[in-house]
Amino acid sequence: MSYLRLERIEKRFGPVSIIRGVDIAAEKGEFVVFVGPSGCGKSTLLRMIAGLEEVSGGDVYIDGARVTQTEPAKRQVSMVFQSYALFPHMSVRENIAFGLKMAKVPRAEIDRQVAEAARILQMEPLLDRRPRQLSGGQRQRVAIGRAIVRHPKLFLFDEPLSNLDAELRAQMRVEIARLHRELGVTMVYVTHDQVEAMTLADRIVVLRGGVVEQIGAPQDLYDRPANTFVAGFIGSPKMNFLKGRLESADAAGVTVGHPALAAPLRVARHGTAAALVPGAEVTLGLRPEHLALEGGGARIGLTADLSESLGGSTLIHGQTRTGETVSLQVPGRRMLGKGETFSVGFDPAQAYLFDADGRAL
Amino acid sequence: MPSRSAGRLLHGLGLLAVFAVTVFPTYWMVSSSFKTQSDLLASPPVWLFTPTLANYADVFADQKVVNAVVNSLIVAVFSTGLSVLLGTPAAFALARYDFRGKSDLWFWFISNRFVSPIVLALPIYILARNLGLLDTHLVLILVYITFILPIVIWIATDQFRSIPKELEEAARLEGASQFAIFWRIYLPLGLPGIAVSAIFGFIFSWNELLYALVLTRRDVQTAPVVATSFMSGYELPWGKIMATGTVIVLPVTIFALLVSRHMVRGLTMGATK
Ligand SMILES: Nc1ncnc2c1ncn2[C@@H]1O[C@H](COP(=O)(O)OP(=O)(O)O)[C@@H](O)[C@H]1O
Ligand SMILES: [Mg+2]
Repeated sequence: MSYLRLERIEKRFGPVSIIRGVDIAAEKGEFVVFVGPSGCGKSTLLRMIAGLEEVSGGDVYIDGARVTQTEPAKRQVSMVFQSYALFPHMSVRENIAFGLKMAKVPRAEIDRQVAEAARILQMEPLLDRRPRQLSGGQRQRVAIGRAIVRHPKLFLFDEPLSNLDAELRAQMRVEIARLHRELGVTMVYVTHDQVEAMTLADRIVVLRGGVVEQIGAPQDLYDRPANTFVAGFIGSPKMNFLKGRLESADAAGVTVGHPALAAPLRVARHGTAAALVPGAEVTLGLRPEHLALEGGGARIGLTADLSESLGGSTLIHGQTRTGETVSLQVPGRRMLGKGETFSVGFDPAQAYLFDADGRAL
Repeated sequence: MPSRSAGRLLHGLGLLAVFAVTVFPTYWMVSSSFKTQSDLLASPPVWLFTPTLANYADVFADQKVVNAVVNSLIVAVFSTGLSVLLGTPAAFALARYDFRGKSDLWFWFISNRFVSPIVLALPIYILARNLGLLDTHLVLILVYITFILPIVIWIATDQFRSIPKELEEAARLEGASQFAIFWRIYLPLGLPGIAVSAIFGFIFSWNELLYALVLTRRDVQTAPVVATSFMSGYELPWGKIMATGTVIVLPVTIFALLVSRHMVRGLTMGATK
């Protein structure tokens, strides 16, 4: 049995359905990331695991026990809030010790635990400061310290890095990954940033509009997205989509035509979508990093729009004859003038195919 | 620049007017309390005089005044203290929980204040007489609580509402009980508001005259009542009245100064972001 299990979880705020039947399971020690656009219900889901929000339907299990009706404190979970939620009138030490004090842990033991947490997070010199005397990154550390000191069964993070600047965010991301490795604990982490999801997660849960779109390892989601939403959400820059027609289909693969394609494209099948009728509308998905100016088994003709130099590489945006936008990332500096025509090549094995409803073929 | 200096002039005149209305009477009261009767009655008024402590000696020799100050202290401390004790948990509930009749209760607290105090004076007098509470500290404390408690609840609720909800949620996850959340999070963070309401309450009960006149006789006359009692007879003892006035104002001023330390806002800064 899984360490954390959500079973047909639903949440309604009045008449509005926010979470609509979510099933998720996580193993002990796993790092699970909930990712999805803002407002899709990630925080609500996390808060239901913590017990801060009641479920409208379904059950929550932690470590084999049903905790759906259990009050938050008894669930043995810790949460790091987006706003950190540090107690402003207490020192760092008191903030970290708060939970232990509430649990009536002996004084000496509290001191030992706090010192240990401070050592792990390298914040010994900060212990006697107040939260307002700390930088954003330091506050973040304190919030994490407060979470780890109680040795909870589950760590919950709600967009913990979104208030930090880019550099600090990258640094804290590495730190959280290190913490997970060192402590070997189960973490559930919410973010709307797919880069955080890709780099931190053992498993990613992609949410949209209160339903799970796909669950899988980062590489699986990248390689085999279940639909156009996941395909567009995972990976940066975003995947290009071209609307084409199915020319023929057999057990091994399909042939797709598109006005911008020099020749019909033969693609192997991944998904298990139902009947494929020649002439049906399909969506061809191409990742910007899989396109190249030279070489490749298949080619698309484009008109250049805009080139953005990223220093080491260049992001080129172009348009097909049908007016669809295609972006590609190429190494080096290759600035193309607006209106210049060019063609890009790619390996057909790296192309993605989706049916008219957006499901992977 | 002419408009600018004109503005400054107006500003200065405005300040002068405020100063004349607020500070000058206080100055006059305090300085007069150190004058002899002949200096006090001099016309035109004397600005430079030899100060005397005779009036204060007079005041403190008068057992009535000393008793009155003590009575006022007892009533003000208990009515304010009890109001804070009862009002802050009520404010916590109003700020953080939804329950049936919450908004009615809320409205009741203000609507109470719509009624002019004099309207209730007679019913309360009769009630107190029938309960045998006339001329006791208790009756004044109880009556003053009905005035101070709503102030405490109002200000503290507002203050508690401004405390980020995540602090409470974090505390709950850390295993804090409802009481611990109130005691360790809300109370310390709400201190500025609670201090303000305590000052209002203390000043109110210290200065209250109407109910004190109606409900007390000899034993528990408060300071304002005694101050008015000098204003009879043919020759008014101005020096003693001014000295009594100064003695009455002093404790509130000291109290306000002590508590104002906690009124510094911004204690919640750094909680989030
Ligand atoms: N207490 C609430 N009452 C009503 N609606 C809410 C409440 N909390 C969240 N919502 C709504 O639920 C949806 C999901 O919110 P949330 O879980 O915070 O999204 P996310 O964290 O993915 O951005 C949003 O549309 C939000 O407006
Ligand atoms: Mg959120």
